[in-house]
Amino acid sequence: MTRKIIHIDMDAFYAAVEQRDDPRLRGRPVVVGGSPDSRGVVATASYEARRYGIRSAMPAARARLLCPEAVFLRPRFETYRKVSRQIQTIFRRYTALVEPLSLDEAYLDVSECRTCRGSATLIARRIKEEIYANTELRASAGVSYNKFLAKLASDIDKPDGLYLIAPDAGAKFVAELEIGRFHGVGRATEARMHALGIYTGADLRQWSLEELEAAFGKRGPFYYYIARGIDERPVRPVRERKSLGSETTFSRDLSDISAMLAALRPLAAEVLANLQKKQLLAYTFTLKVKFHDFQLITRAHSARAPVTDIEALMALLGALLERTEAVSKPVRLLGVTASGLRTASETEQQLGLF
Amino acid sequence: MKFTIEREQLLKPLQAVIGVVERRQTLPVLGNVLVVADSNGVSLTATDLEVELVSHFHTEVSEAGEGTVPARKLLDIVRNLPADAQIELTVEQDRATVTAARSRFSLATLPAADFPTVEDIGEAQPLLLPQRQLRELIERTHFSMALQDVRYYLNGLLLELEPTGLRAVATDGHRLALAEAAADVQVSEGKQVIVPRKGIQELLRLLEPSDEAARVELGSNHIRVALPDIRFTTKLIDGRFPEYQRVIPAAADKIVIVDKDSLRQALVRASILSNEKYRGVRFSVEPERLKIQSNNPEQEEAEEELSVEYNEQPLEVGFNASYMLDALNAVETDQVELALTDANSSCLVRGRGDDDAKYVIMPMRL
Repeated sequence: MTRKIIHIDMDAFYAAVEQRDDPRLRGRPVVVGGSPDSRGVVATASYEARRYGIRSAMPAARARLLCPEAVFLRPRFETYRKVSRQIQTIFRRYTALVEPLSLDEAYLDVSECRTCRGSATLIARRIKEEIYANTELRASAGVSYNKFLAKLASDIDKPDGLYLIAPDAGAKFVAELEIGRFHGVGRATEARMHALGIYTGADLRQWSLEELEAAFGKRGPFYYYIARGIDERPVRPVRERKSLGSETTFSRDLSDISAMLAALRPLAAEVLANLQKKQLLAYTFTLKVKFHDFQLITRAHSARAPVTDIEALMALLGALLERTEAVSKPVRLLGVTASGLRTASETEQQLGLF
Repeated sequence: MKFTIEREQLLKPLQAVIGVVERRQTLPVLGNVLVVADSNGVSLTATDLEVELVSHFHTEVSEAGEGTVPARKLLDIVRNLPADAQIELTVEQDRATVTAARSRFSLATLPAADFPTVEDIGEAQPLLLPQRQLRELIERTHFSMALQDVRYYLNGLLLELEPTGLRAVATDGHRLALAEAAADVQVSEGKQVIVPRKGIQELLRLLEPSDEAARVELGSNHIRVALPDIRFTTKLIDGRFPEYQRVIPAAADKIVIVDKDSLRQALVRASILSNEKYRGVRFSVEPERLKIQSNNPEQEEAEEELSVEYNEQPLEVGFNASYMLDALNAVETDQVELALTDANSSCLVRGRGDDDAKYVIMPMRL
């Protein structure tokens, strides 16, 4: 059976919330994120700010160079979370199959939804209207028969967009798509694809399953199928958490190991606290180090038993840090990520001796 | 200091000690090997402050003395010299010189006085036993040691000396391995030490399956094992090992006797479709039959059936296949005995007729 998938994406979410709550900001370039005086990055830029070339993940200092009159604001996550809960409530009126990707983005599987005579496009329009009525915020919706295409569709006539990629249009749409816009193709994969002469979906489609597997390993089959507009990934109501982390960019580079360890401690504590809050146990910990020259490395260690103790984690991170060049190179960012997660109840499956 | 030696005779002892030289040292001198030459020959010492290795060899020493030389560089030089090279090593002031035929290397040294060594460990009566015996004790148990567990005393192997012999115990909290060897131990009362994981791995590398003697000395904070050409010393873990005797089931009376290789192969196959993370497999025993089943989150299933000796009530119990396989791989007899109680109690695994090794595995709830 052909599925009906909607991808909803709020328009310039953080910035739009700020403009909603402070009328003086409306019509002006607004940048939500880190301070331009520090080394923070842009989280969201309003559409007015985007006209100056300001984009997400850009250093805030650079954003100010591009548009000195922009208003720079710190994020107010509590407010964003509140709005997020409001829109999720709306989604659930139409289907239980809601997969949130972040505070402002979700997939909905409305295949079983009888509202609007079962028309996914009409459901998407209704959802957009309800979101605006409840929050005074605009969202864009993409409608298609799988997640990959629905997500592409929501981006097409943003902001306040609604776009349908019908089943018979999927293959043609994918054929014309630039390879860098495919789900799961980041900059590195894009470069590799280009090196292989793959620039569009049509190019990708020339490759056999075996060839793609040989070139891209486990991801090969995924590329093979999405090149044909096929993506069977289900909408998962609860996303299984794969990792959990915390990181910090320093206002001044650290070049002293003891200072780095001191900076890691609160990050380690935060990660452990979050694991505890979510009732998760982690077996693998990854240390992320960005050096002053922006070289980024990670060092990971997997333990046989979950690490729950701050001192044990600090010892582990200290050992990982020693395996980097942190002794000789100033460090600009440190991060700690926990992965290899199990829920506390899962590990109870194995009974203990003592 | 100055001596001459054939390449082969220097290479072997260097390779024997290099394992403890860490690539990133906390102290620069730990990247070096201590060379001591005197009328008895030459000794090479390497340490990471936890494990110390000293290898000794005889050669003609023209000038006694000592110094420390960068360990990996020295090894790389010696390894890359021609097989028949005659090597001369000289240490003078802060330089070490290696010469062989038309090759000459000058290396930076650090003072021998700065090199941390463990001399006296305050040992009691040493214990002599064949290397083979010590090696087997470790081989049969070491895989059950914990790895970086917060219960630090589990990250090692318990060695227990009793008047009748020597015992090794390892556990990670989910399974336990115990092996015993009869030996004439001159101790009046039992003595327990926990040898850290790294030391055990290093020791296992050094011990040969030979009848040559290993001399074991237990100090208050160290254990030392002297072999013919090399001396191993490691710090001990200061902690209380759990009361392992308590968890070895005494009343497990539902006995399954099964061919070890058939069980091992069936487990390997069944575990292919077990959950990759937990590796759980379900054992169902009934008279004369053992069924092993597994399934994974994708709902794929495996089922294996084996003929066994069993005459009790049917019983179902889940295990981590890896733990069971580790134990089976350590069993030396062809037939293996699984002693069960119920689905929540541990299983005792033994080679049939072999009372020297015991494996205890806690079940999984499936």
